[in-house]
Amino acid sequence: MLPDVETLLEYPYTRTTGPVLGPFFTALRDGRLLGIRIDGRVYCPPVEYDPETGTSLEPDLVEMGSDGTVKSWTWVTQPTSQHPFDHPFAFALVLLDGAYRPIVHALEVASPDELSTGMRVSVQFHEDRRGAITDFHFVPAGTGTARQVVTGGEPVTVIEQLISLRYREPLQPHRRRFAQGLLDGRFIGQRSPISGKVSIPGRGYDLLERVEVGEEGDLVLADRGSVTAFTVITPIQYYGQKETEPYIRASILLDGGDTPLTGVDVRGLPIDEFRIGLRLQAVWWPAGQRDLGEIDNRSVSLDGIIERWNPTGEPDADPDSFEEFAL
Amino acid sequence: MPRQGHRPVAVVSFAQADNVRRELRRNEVETLMPVFAEVFSNIGITKDDVGFICSGSTDYLAGGPFSFVSALDAIGVWPPRTESHVEMDGAWALYEAWVRLQEGDIDAALVYGFGKSSMSDLSKVLALQLDPYVLAPLWPDPVSVAALQARSLLDAGKATERDFAEVAARSRKAALSNPKAQVAYDRNVAELMGEDYVVSPLRTHTLPPITDGAAAIVLAAGDKAFEWAERPAWITGIDHRVETHSLGARDLTASASTTKAAEVAGVNDGTVEVAELHAPFAPQELIVAAALGLGDDVLVNPSGGALAANPIMSAGLIRIGEAASRIMDGSAGRVVAHATSGPALQQNLVAVLEGV
Repeated sequence: MLPDVETLLEYPYTRTTGPVLGPFFTALRDGRLLGIRIDGRVYCPPVEYDPETGTSLEPDLVEMGSDGTVKSWTWVTQPTSQHPFDHPFAFALVLLDGAYRPIVHALEVASPDELSTGMRVSVQFHEDRRGAITDFHFVPAGTGTARQVVTGGEPVTVIEQLISLRYREPLQPHRRRFAQGLLDGRFIGQRSPISGKVSIPGRGYDLLERVEVGEEGDLVLADRGSVTAFTVITPIQYYGQKETEPYIRASILLDGGDTPLTGVDVRGLPIDEFRIGLRLQAVWWPAGQRDLGEIDNRSVSLDGIIERWNPTGEPDADPDSFEEFAL
Repeated sequence: MPRQGHRPVAVVSFAQADNVRRELRRNEVETLMPVFAEVFSNIGITKDDVGFICSGSTDYLAGGPFSFVSALDAIGVWPPRTESHVEMDGAWALYEAWVRLQEGDIDAALVYGFGKSSMSDLSKVLALQLDPYVLAPLWPDPVSVAALQARSLLDAGKATERDFAEVAARSRKAALSNPKAQVAYDRNVAELMGEDYVVSPLRTHTLPPITDGAAAIVLAAGDKAFEWAERPAWITGIDHRVETHSLGARDLTASASTTKAAEVAGVNDGTVEVAELHAPFAPQELIVAAALGLGDDVLVNPSGGALAANPIMSAGLIRIGEAASRIMDGSAGRVVAHATSGPALQQNLVAVLEGV
């Protein structure tokens, strides 16, 4: 039985702050709390557009006091790893004194018994601040420490937030058979009972006729085939990029198949000799060293399965015979 | 003639997948395939009879890019077809298709929504729809946000915890006659009130289930609708409105955007017999019903609503499908469907559907 597929999705979001939120975050970093004034109404956190009319706003920023009143609250008994506290706490709507609408933030109390709508609370700034909404939280009025304003730093023009999500699901039955085949050194495709076309990996259904294809449609394809298309990628340097030199991703139509394997890494072969029609033979990683890590229900990378592709030395396949394949 | 648009457009077919807590054997494409087969065969057409396709989904559910593109495999789009997508509930895909059909050059559209919520932690995924500067970094989970809204409702004197339980009891009981329901039971209010708080003041019965699912609707214009359906559910009004993303700046005890959309769609221009409301949390049904101005005589959520099954990205579209089904099966003449998106009812779509 193959294990569930687990995926970690992370995006390191970087956002510019602009003329309203920039000063707000700069002030937070310094230990001050700002709101924005619109026709006598004060919003904290400041908004860039009037929530009632959508009008774009000139930054008329005002400093808020430390105290406010709870307008609504809830008690989080089991915080997630990303919540502001690792112990039970409250989320609350807090109407800061002088504000028109409340702010949503975290409120730290020892027990939900202390919570009530109407209770007075105060801003508690953290000692280590970076110019983010997480630089403070609320505590019951009178229990916090006095704020210490530290000015003179650079304006906060960018904020960063790392998004981190985990996904888990079992391989679907047809994908499980395909993956097990790879571990066993075989390419398993599926033949459509309608068109007779063979796709790899099988999807569990006919791609055009929307008819399910079960295990009886499985068949083993050759581990050699022809290049039907390729692209030379010149890497640009973005966050997480590991490539530095140009490399090829190719589509390879295995003998006996009707859909090519796409995005195949064929590094090691000289770029200037690579061509459509080239005949290639898969060289498998030794059994026991094969890694299904990049195979899930939605995408397949053979990098952990196939060590490299070697030219077979056969005459090239006729490119005209690939007319049917767009990729 | 419809109140909006110059070309009458109707729902003529609706189908949905089984709503389940965890779909272990099928991916999104495999989940959609039988849904499409059913939505077409209901009215004896094929994929070649629709000129436009629009879907609603979010890649954050699957954790992979462009999942809406691979989902097209479930239709088999060859020869190529005009297709579009919204990163929203399928109800908004239906709105786009309704607009597209107004152009007049095509007569039918396929609309669908899909998503598997079971693969990830929804409490984190849904936190990402919040304001990314001043809210998302605190990771308020959807249950906590709904709880803030529920307590605001209680403190404003607009509802009681017993009202929440009555919504849940009525919805889950109605769901007993919905074969696609995921959570259905006949339990009295007192029993539900005895449950512990999950996130105060929300008890288990006030929360939606976590659901893997999908749904599809075929829209047809003019004569084509009569050709395909005996009783088309004509969309005589449809509108959607959004409120500020600044959660604290909103009055969480009301739904101004629902009220505005209802005015434009003409909800109260006639008698409303049935309303299918997309209120994932029980207290939200009270807010939406009030915002729509529904009277006590309106049959609300005979399907059980989102409390019976809440497939993210299709639960709103299912409300339209369920409401339309009441027209198509002849049991009602004028119905309202509502869909919501965003935290605490931030964005709302309202449609009025009528028989001839």
